[in-house]
Amino acid sequence: MGDPVATLSRETEAAAREMVIDCDVHPMIQDLTLLYPYMPNAWAERFARKRMGIQQSSLTLKFLHPNGAVLREDARPRPGALPGSDPKFMLEQYIEPNGVSHAVLNYPQAGALCATTAGPDESTVLAAAFNDYFIENWLTVDPRFAWAMMVSPQSPLDAANEIRRIGSHPQICCVYLPLPNILMGNRHYWPIYAAAEEAGLPIFTHLTGPDGVYQGAPVLAGGHPESYVERFVALGQIGQSNLSSLIFTGTLERFPGLDFLFAEYGFTWVLPLLWKMDRTWHEFRHETPWVKQAPSDYVRQRIKFTTQPMDEPAELAQLKALISMLGEDLLCFSSDYPHWDNDMPAITRRQFSEDARSKVMHDNAQTILRLA
Amino acid sequence: MTDMNGKTAHDVGPASQLEVGKFVMTEINGREIGITKLANGDIRAVWNYCPHRGAAVCKGVIGGTWAPSAPGQLEYEKDGEVLVCPWHGFEFDLDTGVELYRQKPSRLRLYPVEQSDGRVIVYA
Repeated sequence: MGDPVATLSRETEAAAREMVIDCDVHPMIQDLTLLYPYMPNAWAERFARKRMGIQQSSLTLKFLHPNGAVLREDARPRPGALPGSDPKFMLEQYIEPNGVSHAVLNYPQAGALCATTAGPDESTVLAAAFNDYFIENWLTVDPRFAWAMMVSPQSPLDAANEIRRIGSHPQICCVYLPLPNILMGNRHYWPIYAAAEEAGLPIFTHLTGPDGVYQGAPVLAGGHPESYVERFVALGQIGQSNLSSLIFTGTLERFPGLDFLFAEYGFTWVLPLLWKMDRTWHEFRHETPWVKQAPSDYVRQRIKFTTQPMDEPAELAQLKALISMLGEDLLCFSSDYPHWDNDMPAITRRQFSEDARSKVMHDNAQTILRLA
Repeated sequence: MTDMNGKTAHDVGPASQLEVGKFVMTEINGREIGITKLANGDIRAVWNYCPHRGAAVCKGVIGGTWAPSAPGQLEYEKDGEVLVCPWHGFEFDLDTGVELYRQKPSRLRLYPVEQSDGRVIVYA
């Protein structure tokens, strides 16, 4: 056994040589009043009157993080500054040392506002303000920053217009569709999908925070959990429901040029769902005759999943076996920096065979995202 | 000293202490009165009593408001000229004292006020 720190350091260097596309990195906005210059004054005045704050819509007590913070304390750029709020610090602390060639910046707190906690008109204004804020204050700082542009799922026609407004920006790599309690295969989203397909942007979806907590957010199956940990382990349900919704509604046939990336829903549940979908489709194909291929074929061609949070069975070989059965082509590396449960690239790449590493750490994301 | 309507003139302090968007509170004849300056420099003296339910209305926000508009549209107007009651949110035009956008508006009690040699004079 060598020195584990030295080993990790060597692996970090190796990962740096390999170059990493990180599909899930979270910037933050220190104070939402910084958005005001990016919206009409009448709306800025409204939000100011309401004293809108990103922290205002906190989760209920039982779902608060057991240690009080979902953000890494050691990722604060300065005392009092939110982790993720300073692009230069993010570059120094995470992007540079880990050899990240592209970081897919996405902002779940914005997604929570746009999908659940703001109204439809508010969310349309906020989505545009978030987009313009990050384009101006982050994308200009470094070409490695790629933005998962925000849209309001509550107002699909406005969302489509937003994609047309800014979707051609070279550092926008996907459309972040934050989910309300409407499954992704629902025709509600057709205007968004049509605009994204036209722009050549895949749909990226990521939990937003209020999932399973507030009315309007995606619900969890069977009842209401009682603690953070219980809710946390149930969140993959939302990914499962939405994946099968995309397949059986024929959405992938209706939008043949559109790909999807599920971020932070986990992936160890995907394999048994593919088995179940394939078998049931075989039995009842005629109920949804627009599903022309086996569900797993659609998934393998058009949908990917991010790696974080990696499950950690007692025997690592079991995880490797599952990944082998699922297929490495479906997975894209993600760190979730600067959240408490982030996975560093040097650790994640260990879970994959030598052959699969470049696919998971880089190639797969490059095939699905529109990267400059 | 009285004005032409028989009110007593009260010197409530220098005009220089007034700020747009804020009240300076004073008391005349046992009544709390808030003095403020509008953006155009006009001064208003407001009885600190909402005609709706008697709230201390001068503790409310002074700002603008959003005029009646089409669905999904916001039109901000009267910035710095609207007093919003801290209790039930009734909006009053500080220029006139009249409640905004009501068929039968209530109104704030405004006192006549003027500047004289840099002092603020309220008649009550």
